Amino acid sequence: MIELTNVSYTYPRTVHPALHRISLSLEKGRCIMVTGPSGAGKTSLCLAATGILHHEYGGRKEGTVTVDHRNVEEYPTLSDLAQNVGIVFDDPEAQMIFTTVEEEILSALEHRGLPVPIIEERLEGIIRTTYLEKIRDRSPHHLSGGQKQRVALAATLALGNEILVLDEPTSELDEHATNRIAEILSDLKRQGKTILLVEHKYHHFREIVDTLVVLENGEITASGAPGQVLEDPRVRGMLYPDFSSVQKAVRQPAGDGPAIEVRGLTHSYGEVTALSGIDLAIRRGEFVAIVGENGSGKTTLVKHFNRLLSPTSGDVVVNGKNTKACSIAELARDVGLVFQNPDHMFFADTVRDEIAYGVQNLGIADAGTAIDAALRDAGLEGSADLYPRWLSRGERQRLAIACVVAMQPGIIVLDEPTTGLDGYETLEVIGLLKNLQQKGHMIVIITHNREIASRCADRVISMESGRIVSDTGGA
Amino acid sequence: MAEILQYVHMDAFLHRLHPYTKILFIIVVSVMAIVATDIPFLILMVIAMLAFAAYGRLLGESLRQLKLILVMSVIFILITVITMPNGETIAYLIPQGIPVIGGLVPITTGGLMIGVVLMLRFMILIFAFQLFLVSTQPRDIVHAMEKIRIPTDYILMFIIALRFIPTLQIEGQRIHEAQLARGFNPGTGFIGKIRSVAPIVIPLVSNALVRSNVLGLTIDMRGYRTGRRTHVHERVFAGRDYAVITILAVAGAGFIALFLAQMV
Repeated sequence: MIELTNVSYTYPRTVHPALHRISLSLEKGRCIMVTGPSGAGKTSLCLAATGILHHEYGGRKEGTVTVDHRNVEEYPTLSDLAQNVGIVFDDPEAQMIFTTVEEEILSALEHRGLPVPIIEERLEGIIRTTYLEKIRDRSPHHLSGGQKQRVALAATLALGNEILVLDEPTSELDEHATNRIAEILSDLKRQGKTILLVEHKYHHFREIVDTLVVLENGEITASGAPGQVLEDPRVRGMLYPDFSSVQKAVRQPAGDGPAIEVRGLTHSYGEVTALSGIDLAIRRGEFVAIVGENGSGKTTLVKHFNRLLSPTSGDVVVNGKNTKACSIAELARDVGLVFQNPDHMFFADTVRDEIAYGVQNLGIADAGTAIDAALRDAGLEGSADLYPRWLSRGERQRLAIACVVAMQPGIIVLDEPTTGLDGYETLEVIGLLKNLQQKGHMIVIITHNREIASRCADRVISMESGRIVSDTGGA
Repeated sequence: MAEILQYVHMDAFLHRLHPYTKILFIIVVSVMAIVATDIPFLILMVIAMLAFAAYGRLLGESLRQLKLILVMSVIFILITVITMPNGETIAYLIPQGIPVIGGLVPITTGGLMIGVVLMLRFMILIFAFQLFLVSTQPRDIVHAMEKIRIPTDYILMFIIALRFIPTLQIEGQRIHEAQLARGFNPGTGFIGKIRSVAPIVIPLVSNALVRSNVLGLTIDMRGYRTGRRTHVHERVFAGRDYAVITILAVAGAGFIALFLAQMV
């Protein structure tokens, strides 16, 4: 249904090809999963396979792409291609254009030139397949990332085409939401749809994948039946990070009292209680993981550590100071907070300037040394003069950490630091954090990934509906 | 977070009106508000807008705009008082007791009147447009505008501009928090304030550009731009539409009659 023959592509104003001599054949009713490190050309491959590259982008193209046995260049417009192939992107927000779930799907359905009763019947069918019954009248602002992504998938299905291309549809989603997408895809495959899936989370999708393709530096480096391709330990490590090399803390944290102490913390957003009665003490040098579903209060809790949020009732004491008496700027010296999406912070022209920003804000003496050390810790010495947004996702994540490390806080808190990374990039981030722990920093990570939590952290705290339900290191 | 100008899903009088009726409503109300200069008449129109909102169970939505309206009103009145002195002087913006500059910028009845007229017009326009946007699904706006031959691309632009206001608000909030955690300094003085905007605005705009690329491709790949469509749940003119159109016609005719009478 999709056939790429010797496809090479170089983006305008760049030298290095994004895709190099790619040949790929996707047969009817089959599912190919493409994986590889960030920046390997996976998105370019999706754009090529849907014909978008040939219709919308300049640059140098070689080779041929056919969709449904017809060269993509023969389709007059993208809308004609859209009759045959649908695509779902990784950003859930950008794919909801209308104001309710039903409207979004209906708008796509109305373009098929079908009679009204059939449209209504299809609408119900699609809403059932994508589990959207209960939220069909909701607006985009009241949906989670996973729900939005299901709407995007539903609107794409509304077009009724047989081929689906999905570009990291679950990268922003938690375990539960990812499983939902996997269930929907296996249903669709059973119905005979042809699927090209770009993903890191192989084990969620292993039941539907017929062929596993590894893309690195724009080239296919492995391809075949999953069992066979996974025999290569290098590929295995990409999909299943090998945490055996990660050492648990050798020395026990110094017993000089807790660095963070939370007492009877409750927080409400309006009428919604996000946290209730949290008691928690974390010692210097500990590596703590906080796990729990979306909306369980993990992010709300850590935002109290540097007073981005103030307690509705209760106290948070950081390094002996009650946060109520401190400003956010003061607490930035004690607590460094790295948010989930690194792109929410980059604004400087170079990696070095980006790191310098926080250092200068705090007026740290000997800024140059602090910046150099942070660059070295994050393994970004070679990229100091690059534009931050040109880095790969893995490098951007490490840069975000470096920006905070350079400010020399004793406590470093990270919200989902491994989102969208492959196995090796995940290990690099974890290695960096372990290193910081060895240097005496307290590390707190929020993660959906229970394996990272249990294999890397000294202590795992589970949260559910605003409460701590279990704590392996509770004092 | 307050969602500015977003469609609110419910089943009430205004929601059931045909989009054309509502567009006609906006046109008639806008023309009347812009042409009229009589303060009591404008006040009457504001009350009518609020009554109309209340009848469509949207009074709460309308009142949420009060803060914006208040800020704009103060600005309007200040500008007209400063730039259009006319009529009797009733006070001075800078009290006469202050040496040298005391007694400058007189507050005149004429300037004040024009300010109040502008404020009332602004209120009427805001309320009218908001009632339309809050009660009409973007899909229906697309259909209505397509039927009067407005190109699809322009309609999509309009709808997307509205749709992404809250998204940008939320994103701006997140960026602000991320920079606060890096010791972001809101800056002092005029230049400092402007400079301190960069760490917020640059990520916001860069991310929006990346997102707009995905958004554009999504629109293309869902065929929203083909313009060929079947309309499910097509709106038909009903009794309530004719009732509203009649009221608008009577109000419009009365308004023209009054206007002509004044000219004579």
